[in-house]
Amino acid sequence: MIRVTDIQKHFGALHVLRGITFEVKKGEAIVIIGPSGSGKSTLLRCINLLVEPDSGQVFIDGVQVNRHGIRHEWVREQVGMVFQSFNLFTHLTAIDNVTLGLIRVKGMSRDKAVEKARVLLARVGLAAKANAYPAELSGGQQQRVAIARALAMDPKAMLFDEPTSALDPEYIREVLDVMTALAREGMTMIVVTHEMGFASNAASRILFMDAGKIVEEGTAEEIFQHPKEERTRAFVSKILR
Amino acid sequence: MDTATAFQLREPPKLVAGITLIHLVEMVVAGLLMAFVILPAIFDFSLLSAQFWGIYTRFYVTGLFGTFFYVALALPLSVVLGFLMGWARVSRLRIFSWPASLYVNVFRGLPPLILVIFASLFGTSLIPQAILDRFFAGFRRGDIAVGIAAIAIGMHSSAYQAEIFRAGFQSVPKGQVEAAQALGLRSWQRMRHVILPQTFRLSLPPLGNEVAVLIKDTSILAAISGIELVAKSRDLLGILPASGFPIVWIFAVWTVVALTYFVITYTVTRGLRLLERRFHTPGLEGISL
Repeated sequence: MIRVTDIQKHFGALHVLRGITFEVKKGEAIVIIGPSGSGKSTLLRCINLLVEPDSGQVFIDGVQVNRHGIRHEWVREQVGMVFQSFNLFTHLTAIDNVTLGLIRVKGMSRDKAVEKARVLLARVGLAAKANAYPAELSGGQQQRVAIARALAMDPKAMLFDEPTSALDPEYIREVLDVMTALAREGMTMIVVTHEMGFASNAASRILFMDAGKIVEEGTAEEIFQHPKEERTRAFVSKILR
Repeated sequence: MDTATAFQLREPPKLVAGITLIHLVEMVVAGLLMAFVILPAIFDFSLLSAQFWGIYTRFYVTGLFGTFFYVALALPLSVVLGFLMGWARVSRLRIFSWPASLYVNVFRGLPPLILVIFASLFGTSLIPQAILDRFFAGFRRGDIAVGIAAIAIGMHSSAYQAEIFRAGFQSVPKGQVEAAQALGLRSWQRMRHVILPQTFRLSLPPLGNEVAVLIKDTSILAAISGIELVAKSRDLLGILPASGFPIVWIFAVWTVVALTYFVITYTVTRGLRLLERRFHTPGLEGISL
């Protein structure tokens, strides 16, 4: 579904991604862990071309997307993205946040879009909050609206960039529940997170990144219980305390 | 989300509290006494002189229409220019941001009176003779100069408005633009559906303030040969000694002028306040004045 080969990315003098190669099959949920500054977010952003890789290829469903002749907007329709800071549109209600892409990008009629948005808001447990503005919602509710907004575009895969890091502890659960359900339903997902519970429950594989490289790759058990690499062991011991 | 800020505007004291109501009554009574008993007694005139007000009304109406005309000339232009300059200032492209920056600094840095003097002296020579002949054939050169001076006031105001819009643009979180990108919205759609609606809401309150300033600034046109409220009132008062009316009318006339400006700006800012309410969005309160 998503294949990335030998991606390199520099920000000025900073060498952020140093040759990343990995593949995500349809229906897999991949969790990426690693210390801050290791390039996890940049890697996610390279997949939907919010960040353009310097070299290497990104394939989505067999199509190389980081080349001339492919519109960025088309690529971004294929993969949904959820951000650490929710990034809901402040001037729009929850339901208008969800319908914006449907109406403006998919060209759907307003009625159809509203109907679909209602279904999605119900799915993330927020049917009653359709007409609330982001400022009137808790962090957890905002993030669930953001998930509904991304899902509305019927993406082939979903990218989550530390979706619970900005949440107060009491709201983390509700967001993770929605994500776990999504993974169970077979959504292809790449999740940057340090939620070990989610990684153990929902992840098909875990990638450990450090200093712009994938250091180790394996199941939750392999990475958390029996890490092979020294750097993985050091990091895992820190987050598991 | 808690939207309370450290400083909140305190509501004016309620008039039901006896003491403030008494103060108010006292002031009104004192004012009325002064205007209708004391001043008339000392200077031997009546504020209700139908003859005087009859003469002044003609000057007043001409002046008021002049003021409205100059506002109509300067205001729309100033908002459009201010918006474009504010937008250009936040552009990543130097060819937009640099000239806009220069424009804002020049027009903000010069007193409107100086701008008006320059515009009236040299304004008409900036317009090619062919255009003057073609489109402004019926106008006197002096009137065209005043029109250009009014536009200069608009440009002065637009420099401030540009800063208001710039702040509005910069208040839209970068993450929301990224989210719009990630949804597949094109660049103009992100501008139209994500950035502009928020810029508009955030800019509205300070913009109302600036509109009030612009309206009052048209009175500067009295310094050149503008035909507006201040100029017409001054013209009348200039012939006052010769016409046999007591000099104390100066007080009455300028009070009427002051009240007129107050009513106009108050009405306009109230109207904009209604607009603000209409577009009120939690989390996008902007800076309320």
